Order: sequence, then C-alpha cells, then structure tokens
Amino acid sequence: MDLRPVTLGADEATKQYYQDLVAQHGSPLLVYDPFVLKQQYKALHATLPNVALYYAVKAHPDSHIVNTIDELGGGFDIASAGEMDVLLQHQISGRRTIHTHPVKKDKEIRDALRFGATTFVVDNLDEIKKLLPYRSRVGVLLRISFRSKSAAVDLSKKFGCTPEEAITLALDAAKLDIHIKGLSFHVGSQCLNSDKHVEAIAACHELITTINTQVESPLSVLDIGGGFPADYANTGIDIEQFCAPIKAALAKLPNDWHLIAEPGRYLIAPAVISITTVTGKSMRNGFRWYYLDDGVYGSYSGQIFDHATYPLQVLKDGDCHASIVAGPTCDSIDVIAENIQLPELEIGDLLIGHQMGAYTAATKTRFNSIPEAKLVVNDSTPTT
Amino acid sequence: MKHFKETLYDSVCQEYRIDKLYFESKTEHQHLMIFHNAQLGRVMTLDGIVQTTEADEFIYHEMLTHVPMLAHGAAKRVLIIGGGDGGMLREAIKHPIEHITQVEIDEAVVEMAIKYLPNHSAGAYNDKRLNLVIDDGIEFVKNTDEKFDVIISDSTDPIGPGEVLFTDNFYAQAKRCLNPGGILVTQNGVPFFQKDEVKTTFQRMGQQFADMGFYCAPIPTYYGGFMTFAWGTDNNDARDKPLAEISQQFEQLNIKTRYYNPAIHQASFALPQYILDALKPTS
Repeated sequence: MDLRPVTLGADEATKQYYQDLVAQHGSPLLVYDPFVLKQQYKALHATLPNVALYYAVKAHPDSHIVNTIDELGGGFDIASAGEMDVLLQHQISGRRTIHTHPVKKDKEIRDALRFGATTFVVDNLDEIKKLLPYRSRVGVLLRISFRSKSAAVDLSKKFGCTPEEAITLALDAAKLDIHIKGLSFHVGSQCLNSDKHVEAIAACHELITTINTQVESPLSVLDIGGGFPADYANTGIDIEQFCAPIKAALAKLPNDWHLIAEPGRYLIAPAVISITTVTGKSMRNGFRWYYLDDGVYGSYSGQIFDHATYPLQVLKDGDCHASIVAGPTCDSIDVIAENIQLPELEIGDLLIGHQMGAYTAATKTRFNSIPEAKLVVNDSTPTT
Repeated sequence: MKHFKETLYDSVCQEYRIDKLYFESKTEHQHLMIFHNAQLGRVMTLDGIVQTTEADEFIYHEMLTHVPMLAHGAAKRVLIIGGGDGGMLREAIKHPIEHITQVEIDEAVVEMAIKYLPNHSAGAYNDKRLNLVIDDGIEFVKNTDEKFDVIISDSTDPIGPGEVLFTDNFYAQAKRCLNPGGILVTQNGVPFFQKDEVKTTFQRMGQQFADMGFYCAPIPTYYGGFMTFAWGTDNNDARDKPLAEISQQFEQLNIKTRYYNPAIHQASFALPQYILDALKPTS
C-alpha cells in the first residue's frame, strides 16, 4: 500500500493552467516557479539571519534556478566543473561559492581555483596534501561526521572524519602551512527534526575551541550543511519551528564566527512540479495500471536514488480504485506508485507530482532513450 | 557584477568598482574581462585575477623588457611568450632589434586588447619586425629552430594555461632557444603571498643556467609588495653590468620611461631578506 498523499481534483483555473502548459510545451514537463523558491529562501534566511546560505547546486543545477539564487544574492555550494560551468554562464563570481566535494582530483582543484572557488572541504590527510601546491590561495573546511538516525539520507557514512581525527588533521595541516579555517558537517538530508544539528553545533563549538588553543591561525567558520526538510507528507513544514533549536545553538557561538549552511532540498523541492500524461492503461490482476510518459528513470528518479515519495495529484474526482502508476520504460522497476487509490483515469489525463524540485531531474537517466521532461518556468503563479 | 572581487586568495581579496564593463567572455582558454575603474583606468582580468591595469602596467612592462635588454646590450632577436595585451611588445620594439616573435595561446586576448586596451600595444602589433604566433608557448619553444637573444615569459599564474610555462621542460626548451649569452626572464608572482612560487622556480630554472636569480619591482595591483622576475643566463657578467655602461646605452636609446632607469635596474637585483630566506634550501 502506497501511503503518499494523493490529491483528487482541482479547481477549474488550476486544471486549465496545467492543460494549457501541456498544450503549449508538450508532455512530460517540469514546471519551475521562481516565486516559490524566493519564498523558501526568504523564510530560511529570516529564521537563520546570521547564516550565509549556499544553495546546493547538485539538488537541481538548472540555469533558471541558479539565476533566481543569484538574484537573491545567495551563495552556491558546488562540487564539480559542470556545476561551475552553469554559474559561469551567469557570470557568477567564484568568490560566492564553496567547493564541498571532500575527494578531488588535482585537475578538479585547479579548475575550481581558476573558476575562483578558494574554499575547499577535506576529511583526511591525503586530501589535505593535495592542496599543498595551492596553500597560499585556499581556505579549508574539515568535514566532521555525525550520524543522524532520523535523516532519510545519511550523508555521514561516506564522508567525514571523527571529531578526534579532526584535531589531529587540523594540527597536521598547520604543520604543512595549510590553513584550516573551519569545520563543516552534514547530519543528513530530509531530517525530521533538528536535534542532530544542535548536537553537531555544540560538538563543533567544543572542537574548534580545543583546536584554537593549539594552532596559530584560529578556525572561525562553521558550515552546518543542509538537512532542512521538504514537505513530502503534505503536512506543512514550519521552518521557523524546525530551525529554532539550531538558532539557539548558534547563538552560543562566538559572534565573530562565520556561519554557513548548504540548503538544497528545502529551497527547491516545492518550487518544481512534474506534469505527466497517461499514455496507456490496462487492467491486470485486479489493479488498474496507468502508463505515464515520465517515470523513475526520469523526473521520478528521486524515488530510487533519494528515497523520496512525492505527493501526487489527479485532476479528476470520483470513485477510487486500487491503481498502479508506471513510467514509460520497458523495465518493471519503473513504477511510480503501487496500489494507490485513484479515480478512473483516461488516456490523455494529466498526473501532477508535487515537491519535485530536489534530486529529481538532477539524477534522471537516459534509459530507453526516452525524451526527458522539459523544464518550463512559470512566470505567473497560478491559484492552486 | 558591479564590483570585481579578485579570487586569488581565500582570506584576503582586492575589490574594484566596475565603472564600465567593456568586455566579458569565456574564451576557449580562459574567462576574460575588461572594464574601467576610476582609479586604475582600464583593467583586464583573466580567471578572476587582475592581469594588467592602465595605471600601473608601465612598471611591470618596463622592468620585464628593459632590464634584460639593457643587461644584454646587443639583443637583435627577441621572443615574448604570452603578453597578449601588447604592453611587453610596445616596450621591446623601442630597442634597435631586428626581429621579434610573440607567442600567445589565446588569439581572443590579442584581439580584445587591441580593441579595449589600445594604449597597451599602442600600435605595436603593426610593427614589421613582429611575427605573431598563436600557439602554446611550450609547444613553440619545443619545436622552433629559431634562436633568440632575450626571451620574456609574460604569463598568467601557474594555475591555468600558464602552468606549463613554470615547468622544468619549459625552462630547458627556452634555454635551447637562446643564443650564447642570451637571457630568459619570467613573471614570477608576489612572494609575500606566494612564497612557494619563487622557491619552485629557483629550484627548476636554477638547474638550467649558470646564473639564475630574481630581480623585483612593486606593482600596486599585483598587491603584496614586490613582484619577482626570474632571471636566467649563462653570461655571469650580465647582472653586474656597470652602471656607467647601462646609463650610456640607455641615454643613446632615448627611451622615455616612468619606472625604469639605470639605477633602478641595478638596484632591482637587491632582494629583501624574506625573499632571500625563501630561496634558502629547507632542511
């Protein structure tokens, strides 16, 4: 049984809006609404006013989205040359970026420096040594691993050193004349609460204080990563409530420290919806099967890679039946929702996926060479 | 972008107001900007780093040409590597040379500089003695059969297309292109902030020449105090050329300069202690 929220029906204006988009641009579509991204950014900024926000470009590297963050004056968390290229197209200075991939080839470091990124993240001595030739130019963040049980995606498993290792690494780096300017952590993505952030902030406070008694150039940057949730359950997210404990924890830090966060999902998830069309249907083993023109190899790839389930909406109301919604590829894994209650749909009906901005199109594949969903920008926010 | 913030260092940065943006492009090789600033005139940046400004370019270009040219005293054939803005060429052709080759990797830099930094080249690209080659400097010195009396490497920083111009291979190949008694000079960064660069060049270029060292000059927009210029030659007397001799030649040339003069020429080989210390072998 698929327990995701499903919305049945929509008002006439909304139906018309979706239908017009498909008539104009075809199907499948991703519809990006800059207004929603701006709202999210401003809400997060308002609740954590002393934290510089660096949008995690990996969540959705689309050029229009980057442009909105640029307009908002935000920073960018980047991890590859491809992401830098997107920023360069908008003539965004590398000074507004941090390079956060803990493992890099020499060429990637050089490309990042040429682009103008001078903040790098490392979590072991080999990576620190890679920065030796560039030590006069860089500022380094040590990534610390704090595991979060409540996060949907655990980001501390693959990267990050232990707090004990961090002290040794900071001292080793100082001996190499490489400046560690602060610590970063990622408690995970899509956290249910901010307990782990609070714990990590306190632990980093203690760590930095300890390290600063032993090094000449003090650490002064704390990067609290991401983890700010998207509303996949349709229950409403009170970001102020989520962040209040974080804000309180940060208030205990010396006020000359530089605070950074790398939000991705929270900012962009609600700003993009997916529109797909029913292209075929059948009755199999008591289930109504609907075949769509987008699926888990395309915009819904986050259901595989990101463990997300997106709220769905059909534009019809009526008696519901046990239904299965499948994507367009030949693979049987390409099923978006199994056993959900939907009214009888017809070929040509639209299905809307909500909260589909983060880690959706970003991880799409080219499987079956099926055309990808086109991203269109919503210039006028519809009534929903 | 209303302000240009240099991206050379993480913890400090110089910021220029952009009063008028003339040109911005991502060329095949690098990200180029040319803009006007009230204090500095036209400014050219590559990959987020200031390359040259109209206000202070004279110090850099005069020192990287006139010092080796006058130290040599009879240079007829000159090679410039890089120097797309044309300032080095402008100074070099003031000497009675027979031929000058300039090898620039990025044709767009030359074109944009002629258009937007016309005072740098000041018509020098029309000089009949010039052979302008669009190629990677390392490829040129590897493949050419030509010989030169003075080679000037006017490169970007060692990160980016200029990287190969700081390698053992480049120094060896450049030396191969020098006539007996020839001199190689190269841009070598600001050691106050870039100590490693002066150390590395000292080790690498030092293997090629009987006399290898540095001279220096302060260029305000390459901030951090003295910029060093690497100096390599097998003519041990070139660096110690008597002041009277330099002065006499300089007078005969009748070149108008704003930074260079014979006394500065000699004095520029005196290095501050922090630079000398950086050159000492680390134990």
